[in-house]
Amino acid sequence: MKLRSFLGFSLPSAALMLLLLALPMVMTAWLSTRNCALDLQLATVVQTGPFGASEVTTQRARLDAAGRPVEMCRFVGTDYYRKLLGLDAQANAPGSDQNEFFGALRFTLLYVAATTPFVLAGGLALALAMNRVTQRLKGLFIAASLLPFIITPVVGALSIKWMFRDNGLVPHLLSGMGIELFWMAQAWSAQLLVVLYGVWHTLPFAFIVFYAGLQGVPQDSLESATLDGANAWQKLRYVTLPHLAPLVVFVTLIHLMDAYRVFEPVIVLTQGAFTTSVQVLTYQVLLLEDNPYKASAAAVLTIVGIGVLLIPLLRKTWREQRRGY
Amino acid sequence: MKRRSLVMAAAAAPWAGGAAAQGCPALAGLSGVGEINLVGNSFRAITHIARQAERCTQPGLKVSFKLTPNARIEIEQAFASAGRSPFDGAVVSKGVFSSLYARGQLAPMTKLVDKHRQRWRLEEPMLVRVDGEVMAIAFMQNTQCLYYRADLLARHGLQVPATYADMVQAASVLKAREPSLSFPIAQAYAKGSDVANDFINVLASCGGRMFERGSAEPAFHGAAGVQAVAAMRSLMPHMTPNALASNSEDVGNLFQQGKSALGVLWASSASRMDDPASSQVVGKFQLAAAPAAVAGGPSSSHLWWDAVVMPGNAQRGADAAARQEAAFHVLMQGLSAESMRAGNDLAIWVRSGWRPGRGGNAVALAQAAGAREWPSEPFLSLAHGEIGKVLPEALTGERAVQSVLDGAAAAYRKSALEKGYAKA
Repeated sequence: MKLRSFLGFSLPSAALMLLLLALPMVMTAWLSTRNCALDLQLATVVQTGPFGASEVTTQRARLDAAGRPVEMCRFVGTDYYRKLLGLDAQANAPGSDQNEFFGALRFTLLYVAATTPFVLAGGLALALAMNRVTQRLKGLFIAASLLPFIITPVVGALSIKWMFRDNGLVPHLLSGMGIELFWMAQAWSAQLLVVLYGVWHTLPFAFIVFYAGLQGVPQDSLESATLDGANAWQKLRYVTLPHLAPLVVFVTLIHLMDAYRVFEPVIVLTQGAFTTSVQVLTYQVLLLEDNPYKASAAAVLTIVGIGVLLIPLLRKTWREQRRGY
Repeated sequence: MKRRSLVMAAAAAPWAGGAAAQGCPALAGLSGVGEINLVGNSFRAITHIARQAERCTQPGLKVSFKLTPNARIEIEQAFASAGRSPFDGAVVSKGVFSSLYARGQLAPMTKLVDKHRQRWRLEEPMLVRVDGEVMAIAFMQNTQCLYYRADLLARHGLQVPATYADMVQAASVLKAREPSLSFPIAQAYAKGSDVANDFINVLASCGGRMFERGSAEPAFHGAAGVQAVAAMRSLMPHMTPNALASNSEDVGNLFQQGKSALGVLWASSASRMDDPASSQVVGKFQLAAAPAAVAGGPSSSHLWWDAVVMPGNAQRGADAAARQEAAFHVLMQGLSAESMRAGNDLAIWVRSGWRPGRGGNAVALAQAAGAREWPSEPFLSLAHGEIGKVLPEALTGERAVQSVLDGAAAAYRKSALEKGYAKA
């Protein structure tokens, strides 16, 4: 391919990626090394309102000539990272952020590790089953299988929560069988619940990709396998699965990235009880501490985490590319 | 849907001949303002106010009221922006007001109030003044109060609990005699905001303070803090094991299904209990002041208000004053006596002339039982956040109470330093 046409094809998307992906990431990294705060002084004021008058403690911000609060920014280097990772001296105080990040990381990795095999295996099984369904029912079945993926995550998580909370459908059915289980009451079941939601929500994605892949399995190879006396399992093992291999890598790649950023089920199902994820932690820093700079540091750590997770897959893809597959 | 109705209203106005002006008489004849943008939480009462304010849309003026569950973040970012705030006004809770005020990000409304006080019949209790300047206009109140099943307490000869110990005792009796009650007590102990809110309520009842007086130094990890956690824990054997994941919505659900009989919950949920479409206990719940955590202490609750505020960075340029005045009128349309009448049952209104419905006396009951206003320190939300993250570990007994509270205090100090609330 001529250099000009190569650039003509690749430059627009490269420029877009630079603008929409690389630049924000660099900005985030830059923000994570800064701290901005108002110049505040304590003050006592008299406040009146619906409940009468009272003396309250507040702060006064130093104002500039235009009457706007003065914001002071400074470079803090790796302060936030050290705090988040529990490397600073203060962090050794009991109950500080020390274990917070690693606690969140532990659950996040557990979630990734627990959902990935089920999403892959379940998606494949569903795709194989769907391939055998008669043509007339296919449309209906595919639509039904895709529903969990189509539903907005928060809505999906809410409906799952309602099924599992006190007097919900699932505890009710279980208690009919003599099992009293409070799903959000201990770590293992709360974590299981989030994992179940993750599999339920993502499986359709794997299914539809594999199902599309199955439509392209070469029929002649399958026929010759049949003539060679291969049974159904052997055909699956030696013809179908090798054909789907690149798709397995693709689904795994996407799911790893998605799963590492698990957020909605944690917030909705358990409100973080026993199940704080890395993404929830970033959100908390942003929302509760109201500190976008520290939240940027948490976001950078998330990117690093995803990068580390993807290394094996990316290496595999890279090697295959070089071998010219 | 909302957008379309706005566009239709704007399009219809020229033919309707002053229909829009009728909906919002204060702005009749005003033109050239363009857009007025407002923001607030998507609660029912605020949604009502938004609809009322949007009636001011007319030729040359478009009112858009953004309703979002995460209004606080948007408001804080907009009001802090170095440029012009995208919003001309906002509905905020007392907590958000405190942090906006402390950062000097609110525009005083004194002059506008003085000028238009008669027209909008603004009453003194509605005006939130700081050292005399009107910084916000309050329109509704809320508090957390004790919900109790009057029928069940009467059946078993039980008094309405006045203390946490009473509550535990009543719960034991109910558990033994009412098999349908799976968990006699239900309270919002969900990790995060809910459980920390309860702690702050109970701490006040134990005589504790969140901060040293007149300082940003934490004080919630003292003896009163430990006592507060003990009081909270004393309820847990009578609550669902799922309590640490139960928010107000889940608690309301337990009440509605007749599975729980006692608990402290927002007064604004009272109407839910009597909704025949979702409640199996219509008319059976009564409200009282939240019990005191210790005998003789004040009610373990706080008083809240919601108000409208205007940003200090909304207006620039020659027409700034006119725009601000227009925004003020639009907000006041939402808080008007007429708007209150139309939404009488949606809130505990501050305005006189309101007809209290279910739960309407909750604020008065809480006040009589010694509940104070929700703390005004602007750094409260930082401490609130840190407590919410770790308190469950103290409630489950996973870690020692003192160590959990010390940890929260240390984490709070750190974030207060980062935000400039405390000095190193």
